[in-house]
Amino acid sequence: MAQQATEGEFTLDTAAVLAAGEPPSAIQGRSPWYLAWRRMRRNYVAFFFLGLFILICVACLLAPVYAKHVAGTGPNNGHPLEQIRVNGVLETVLSPGGYLDKHGKQCPSAFTDPSCHLVSSIPIAPTWFGAGGRFVLGADANGRDVAVRLLYGGRTSLFIGIVSSLICTFFAVILALLAAYYGGWGDFAITRFFDLMYAFPVILLGIALGSALAINGFHHWGINVQSGSIWIPTLVISYVLVAYVGRPLRGQVLSLRQKEFIEASIAQGASPFRVMFIELLPNIMSSVLVFFTLIIATNILLESSLSFLGAGVQPPTASWGTQIADGQDLIVTRPWLSLAPGIMIVLTVVALNVFGDGLRDALDPRAKVRVQR
Amino acid sequence: MDRRHRLKWLFTAATFAVGVALIAAACGGGGSSSTTTTSSSSSSGSSSSSKSFANFRIAMDTGIDYLDPGLSYTVEGWSIMWNVYLPLLGYKHVNGPDGATIVPYLADSLPTVSSDGKTYTITLRKGIKYSNGATVKASDFRATIERDFKVDSPGVGFFGNIVGADQFSKTKTGHISGIVVNDSTGQITIHLNAPQGDFMNILATTFAAPVPAGTPAKDQSTTPAPSTGPYMIQSYQPNKVAIVVRNPNYDASQFDGNVPVGNPDKMTINIIGDDNVALQRVISGQDDYDEHQIPADRLASVQAQHADQIKVYTPANTYYFFMNTRTPPFDKLQVRQAVNYAINREALVRIYAGLAQPTQNVLPPTYPQYKKLNLYPYNLAKAKKLIAASGDKGMSVTVWNHDRGYDPKATAYLTDVLNSIGLKAKEKIINAAVYWTTVGNQATKAQIGFADWFQDYPHPLDWFDVLLNGERITQTHNNNYANFNDAGVNRQIDALKKQPTLTASVNAQWATVDKAVMEQAPWAPFLNRQFTDFFYTSMDLSCYINHVLYQFDYATICHN
Repeated sequence: MAQQATEGEFTLDTAAVLAAGEPPSAIQGRSPWYLAWRRMRRNYVAFFFLGLFILICVACLLAPVYAKHVAGTGPNNGHPLEQIRVNGVLETVLSPGGYLDKHGKQCPSAFTDPSCHLVSSIPIAPTWFGAGGRFVLGADANGRDVAVRLLYGGRTSLFIGIVSSLICTFFAVILALLAAYYGGWGDFAITRFFDLMYAFPVILLGIALGSALAINGFHHWGINVQSGSIWIPTLVISYVLVAYVGRPLRGQVLSLRQKEFIEASIAQGASPFRVMFIELLPNIMSSVLVFFTLIIATNILLESSLSFLGAGVQPPTASWGTQIADGQDLIVTRPWLSLAPGIMIVLTVVALNVFGDGLRDALDPRAKVRVQR
Repeated sequence: MDRRHRLKWLFTAATFAVGVALIAAACGGGGSSSTTTTSSSSSSGSSSSSKSFANFRIAMDTGIDYLDPGLSYTVEGWSIMWNVYLPLLGYKHVNGPDGATIVPYLADSLPTVSSDGKTYTITLRKGIKYSNGATVKASDFRATIERDFKVDSPGVGFFGNIVGADQFSKTKTGHISGIVVNDSTGQITIHLNAPQGDFMNILATTFAAPVPAGTPAKDQSTTPAPSTGPYMIQSYQPNKVAIVVRNPNYDASQFDGNVPVGNPDKMTINIIGDDNVALQRVISGQDDYDEHQIPADRLASVQAQHADQIKVYTPANTYYFFMNTRTPPFDKLQVRQAVNYAINREALVRIYAGLAQPTQNVLPPTYPQYKKLNLYPYNLAKAKKLIAASGDKGMSVTVWNHDRGYDPKATAYLTDVLNSIGLKAKEKIINAAVYWTTVGNQATKAQIGFADWFQDYPHPLDWFDVLLNGERITQTHNNNYANFNDAGVNRQIDALKKQPTLTASVNAQWATVDKAVMEQAPWAPFLNRQFTDFFYTSMDLSCYINHVLYQFDYATICHN
């Protein structure tokens, strides 16, 4: 017998469970979306992480405001020789390097003065709130404000993550519907394409494509993408992950294709377009939505990996991946250069994954949708 | 066993034990720490110094391209082969500018040069042998140069002025007619098409170091060719390890002190990819010398704990931004000058972690021809005015660079600067493996970008003739990235090329060429980079020699 869930307790309710909680007179038809919302709204953890993700997005969208009115510098503006006052003490954004005496002055020649010692130029440490909003998270090796670049980098990473997920999901859905609906040679070709994509390690394929396109961009079939454009990593990521969304969706469509309502629709003379997009698509929308949410996180991670390896976002454009790469040379003395973007990636990915899991549970408690790579 | 026999047995055992211990010490114990020996060895005429020690272990970066004298074109490869393959002429093994002095190595004296500067006559020293015991012959030199052409050596361009070299490069059969040899007298006569002031430097490159005639015309890195120097390459596993040992047929007394005996009996060159790993290996005593640059992040801590074990040096190098004079907006002098005024060289020094000196010259300060220029003091306002006056404000500019080391940071700085003076700049960072061929291809039309130059040999021609002579601009593999072609400068270079020696007057003329070039501003030179050598505490740095061309001289280092 179904057991009613109490308010505030999160359970994977089925429609039957929810119906059991209604007085007989109040039973009425509920749409699957409404039922999903009923399940979802009790999942406070998912909502918390959705809020966190929105907060990150809003902060990144406000990057120009922060750059102009708080930090007073752009994401690519270096200030290597600028001096700023941190808690009343004057500091240079990039400290002097070379042979210096105890006062930090350049020694005329090496080894002649025993008080002189060899030091390297190091960027300013995080000032937190000691410099009126300037260099809150310190500077990088070019004397650029890390906090400003972090927010601008977030815009880039989120843009690539979301847009590539949209493109990837769009093509995955089309290919899945075509393959499963038509079957035969079309299905064979599309499925082998998916198999081929599965055979390549995602990172290696991404590096190969990203590096090749980084030199001259993409100029074929009327599409002109300049090298250095963030559309290159966006399209590369969309392409390399399309099979990972398309193949499970094809399986679902293949299963739905055998259902009576599809047979009935075809028997009534519905066109293939109508069957695919009016009958089949709405029935896989819950999976598509979950895939879309989860793959944003995957794509943000992939973008960061590619950018870290130099095959993704090209300098000077900031992204969280390029920022981690920029900071690796200074990981001992200035760990915040890499830690800050790393933390942002972790927060964003965790937020999207937890929310995505909650969405999946709400849309279809029995579904076993996972993005597997 | 009676008492007499017991004593005999004990004596034999003790002798055997001592013998084993001595052999173990002489062999150096493989990967164990280095041990010092004081005796000279070998019955075959090889030498070892009183400062010899068993094994010098080097943490080398991945820069070795080949260990074949005809093919290697990196500092890493040359620094190893300097003491392995001796050319006819070479450089003094000393610190400072005197290291650029050319002395005879395999030749018995410096060449006799004809009055027209087109014929060089050299005689080989008598009785020099390769590491395999064969005698060095005059015809080996000719065969070596011909082999360079056959293996498509990157050094063949140096020999293009020899009569018949052009023809040989096409046919690769017969002999180069301009090299006449006599094996019985050891005489080598080289005929040039035109006088060439740096030809002795050319003869001192490893590309001209004789290997036996008949050495296969293919890469011999892993099957090393017989050598003439104090050392020979015993084995080489690319990207892993190279073992260099004493040449048993080397006799230092034959070289008038121009080539050292060498202190390490053996050199184990471990190829380590990561700077931090290499540093840690030396700190912990796994290796004796870190050939990598100490990471900027760790310099302070290494300095604090091992200050006496660090050496900083400035090899002859210039880092610069080239501006393509054939491509707008850099076809205008005003724009090129604006870039020179706009970059703050002190800022760039800090971006390179402070281990550099700012410069506005083409020539590095280690050259006797260097005369410090200050044509473009930092002046952003003036740069903006020049851009506005040029009429190119807002023009799109692509800044090129490769993706390795600190260099991309310099491009990020330049892009920011170009945007600040009114141009619309963006970066184009490509893989280092294809960068130089890409920007050296005229089809690329690279507008502005990063470049650096480390000398092939210590002579101003290696800078001005190779990098800035408009007559040497090529369609591909062009070294003159700026496509700088100034008739006056070309004439000056061509005239100075004919000078057989670098006198004070000639040096002064080279300094005027430096100034004349920078007045046209095809480059924006910004720094001369410094580098570090770091040693394990067991090494005695009182013997340390840093050569102007080959940098740290492995052969002369001492062990405590």
